[in-house]
Amino acid sequence: MHRRDWLKGTSAAGLALLSSKWTSTAWAAADLSTRFPALADAAMAKATELGASFADLHLMQTDRESLFVREEMVQGVDAGSSLGCSVRVLVQGAWGFAASGEISEKRVLQLVESAVAVAKGQVGWRKQPVEIETLPSHTGRWEMPVTVDPFTIPLEEKVERLLAINRSALGKGASYCNSHVSAVRERKWLANTFGTRIEQSRMRIHPSFSITLVDPKKGGFASRASSRPPRGAGYEHLSEWDAAGEAALAVEQAKEKMAAPSVTPGKMDLVIAPSNLWLTIHETVGHATELDRSLGYEANFAGTSFCTPDKLDSLQYGSNLVNLYADRTAGGGLSTVMWDDDGVKTLGKEFPIVKDGVFRNFQMALGQAALIGREGGSNGCAYSDSFDAFPIQRMPNISLQPGADNAVTAESLIADVEDGIYIDGNGSWSIDQQRYNFQFTGQVFHRIRNGKIDGMFRDVAYQGNSVDFWKACDGLGGAPTYELGGAMNCGKGQPQQVAPVSHGAVPARFRQINVLNTARESGKDIAAGPIKGCDCSGAGEWA
Amino acid sequence: MTQSETESLCAKILGLVKADGAELYISDSEDLLLRSANNDITSNGLINSLSISLSVSFGKRSASISINQTDDDTLRAAVAKVEAMAKLAPEDPEQLPPVEPGTYAPPLTWSDATAAMTPEVALARLRPVIEAARAAGIDSAGYLERSINGSAFANSRGVFVYERSTTVGFSMTARAAEGRGSGWASTQVTDAAQLELIPVGERAITKALASRNATERPAGRTTVVLETSAVNDLLGLFSGGLDRRDFDEGRSFLNGLVGKGEDPVGKALFGNKATLFSDPLYAPAPSGIHQSGLPIQRTSWVENGVLKNLSVGRFWAQKKGLAVQPWPGNLIMPGEGKSLDELIAGVADGVLITRLWYLRMVQPESLLYTGLTRDGTFAIKDGKIAGPVKNFRFNETPVNVLKNIVASGKPERVLGSESDMPVHVPPLVVENFNLSSVSDAS
Repeated sequence: MHRRDWLKGTSAAGLALLSSKWTSTAWAAADLSTRFPALADAAMAKATELGASFADLHLMQTDRESLFVREEMVQGVDAGSSLGCSVRVLVQGAWGFAASGEISEKRVLQLVESAVAVAKGQVGWRKQPVEIETLPSHTGRWEMPVTVDPFTIPLEEKVERLLAINRSALGKGASYCNSHVSAVRERKWLANTFGTRIEQSRMRIHPSFSITLVDPKKGGFASRASSRPPRGAGYEHLSEWDAAGEAALAVEQAKEKMAAPSVTPGKMDLVIAPSNLWLTIHETVGHATELDRSLGYEANFAGTSFCTPDKLDSLQYGSNLVNLYADRTAGGGLSTVMWDDDGVKTLGKEFPIVKDGVFRNFQMALGQAALIGREGGSNGCAYSDSFDAFPIQRMPNISLQPGADNAVTAESLIADVEDGIYIDGNGSWSIDQQRYNFQFTGQVFHRIRNGKIDGMFRDVAYQGNSVDFWKACDGLGGAPTYELGGAMNCGKGQPQQVAPVSHGAVPARFRQINVLNTARESGKDIAAGPIKGCDCSGAGEWA
Repeated sequence: MTQSETESLCAKILGLVKADGAELYISDSEDLLLRSANNDITSNGLINSLSISLSVSFGKRSASISINQTDDDTLRAAVAKVEAMAKLAPEDPEQLPPVEPGTYAPPLTWSDATAAMTPEVALARLRPVIEAARAAGIDSAGYLERSINGSAFANSRGVFVYERSTTVGFSMTARAAEGRGSGWASTQVTDAAQLELIPVGERAITKALASRNATERPAGRTTVVLETSAVNDLLGLFSGGLDRRDFDEGRSFLNGLVGKGEDPVGKALFGNKATLFSDPLYAPAPSGIHQSGLPIQRTSWVENGVLKNLSVGRFWAQKKGLAVQPWPGNLIMPGEGKSLDELIAGVADGVLITRLWYLRMVQPESLLYTGLTRDGTFAIKDGKIAGPVKNFRFNETPVNVLKNIVASGKPERVLGSESDMPVHVPPLVVENFNLSSVSDAS
């Protein structure tokens, strides 16, 4: 989606009541919009009366649906809706927060009182008062534009699409195939004491499958998951996907993976596809440059960061080819919204995180910029994942920008590799609590020899240090190779909140990265060829 | 909601259902949350939440819906919608009718003292912990969560089971700026009368101070002393792999541990010091008493190294002629009762690990997981702590952990990084643990 299309969604006509037989609480949206101004005024007045220097009221309605098909059996037809409100207050430099699934003026006023009481319980023993910047007030409505609302599509059609995936995989010789699609719509209403009164609605969808091959004669199994990422999009993200085709390819690749030689561990050149690299960006750059984490706010759970404020504008985060930009406005972005959950308008708040290889900015929410002496306040990165969640700093869309030469493709990056691996699809991921040491696997590991793909490896993981890894980047695909990946389920905070986020990337080449053999890591010897006892001679062997 | 209010709501919803079968789960919670960092409260909340999940079936066709509102219009609309969905859903050959009524033991999961804890009380309990950190020149970050929950499961065959639970969990990370020390400790109790926050803070601070100026110890396979939080994580991940159907279908790590045609149950697949069971009525770490209406009994999973049971779902049990075996609701490993110092004293050369982080599956065929150590990692030499060392990434399978236990300590209820399941386990001494690379994180 282009920026121009995205802007269309900001018209006052947006957020029309969506008629859908598949959403449980759709009828409540119009009612909430009607009731919201009076609830907001009452809550703000009460909070101010009780001594709050700032307060906001959040209403949130979430609709979900998911379908799950196991082989040829439809085993999950699920829908869900939740609705509720929360009040956040700042009283004498302390936050208070309370939430309830009941939305009424009486209940909202009780929440204000509860939140104020919790805030006042900190008075007298705080070390440092919370201070926030004054935010511009906003009014209006916004709805993420999608082509087809997934909640309006008949169940039978969605089921048939998933069954077709499984039939394709099973027909090609997969032992098992699960397919799944989930869709979420969030509607939010936000009021604060700066005068903001806004409504917005966003959508996301994730279709996926996973195939497994089992060798029933001699044991051993291998899996291959789909590469279709979740997207801030409608049903078209499923209907325009050649999922059955990818399922057939997945079976062939899983067969080849099972028969492939086990990788010899050591330093190797890697070319990494966007389908894998988005997650590496997420872990090594996205989380590392969250200011709340860097300042210790996440120390007890998600951790801190090697990327501290003193490194701003000086840390060489990667080679000078590396540019990573943050936004909440990208078309199709899972983090894309008009306003963040502090009420900060995101349009115009896009910012570089790494520019020409140098670390340039943190992701920030309300009250954080001043802590590191940055002017301009929040850059619009607040999010709460449900009506009862305190808004915290969460990731915008963070994307690796294409290289300057549009002609560069994955193939041309591979052409300059003598001995290496082309990694496609994301698999396992893990990184330490300060974002130094990471380890990732993938779905498919194509062997590169003398500049060309030559078969596959299995048992591959790559491991390294975030900054060393990005400094080893010496080639980027051009703009035509750019793809948007992402996740529906990024976890952070206590209690844990789950956020959706997208990461765009191009194929990229990294020199001399540490490659592990996962079979050896588990304590098994590396087989010289195919897995012991694995017969890889044809599709019939996998029935 | 009280039990009778919950029962009335169940009856009201089930009364609206026209489908052949229905299963209903209602959960009503009040959570009190206090989160701190940099020695101040950073966020908090008093959260009331209700969830209602209804599954209906017409023969082999089924669907489910969840809502959090109880007004008549919402309930009627939700029932109508889920019934419409179920009628349109293709038949699922594995769909079974709702469970029949069972016998449910009274749960041990409730405490009046915990239910009575107010935000004011919780703040007053937390304040001295934070002030102690300030006094020690330590940055503390912590999280206290008091949860009160009432839940009911009911179905169209007459099952109604209600249980209440309370928990208070607290964890704290202490960080020493000078020397980059970091320490962590936690507690979890059912009864707030047994809650002791100050010792948790003290343990975290002591560990943070002791872990300053860590040196690098080469990675490699070595003997480790895993404190209870690390054991919690590894055993939790292990228990998640104990699935009968996965084994029968050839896609379990257990398939690689036995010969073709052999059943893993009854085989000595692990070391003889490995014993693991679950028991909803285990007082130090009780759990819920049913799963979707199926009563949970005390279940032995591993006994002296012998695999004793696998989880078996209802459909698979019927297909294979097996007994249904619900997943564990808690995990208990009885230890040998040794103190942590005694365990360390038995290690000539190894590493003491406080806590694990970011555990992710690498290779399902072997149940290989990766992850990292954090918040207090120390070298052991000649039976004594030799000093702090940098953290490690590990690549290891819980199978090897259970094979290589050489000693265990006194069990305790502890929080892990990966799950909120009640876990009561001892620290373990494990040989040949694969610390695969060094991490600069501190």
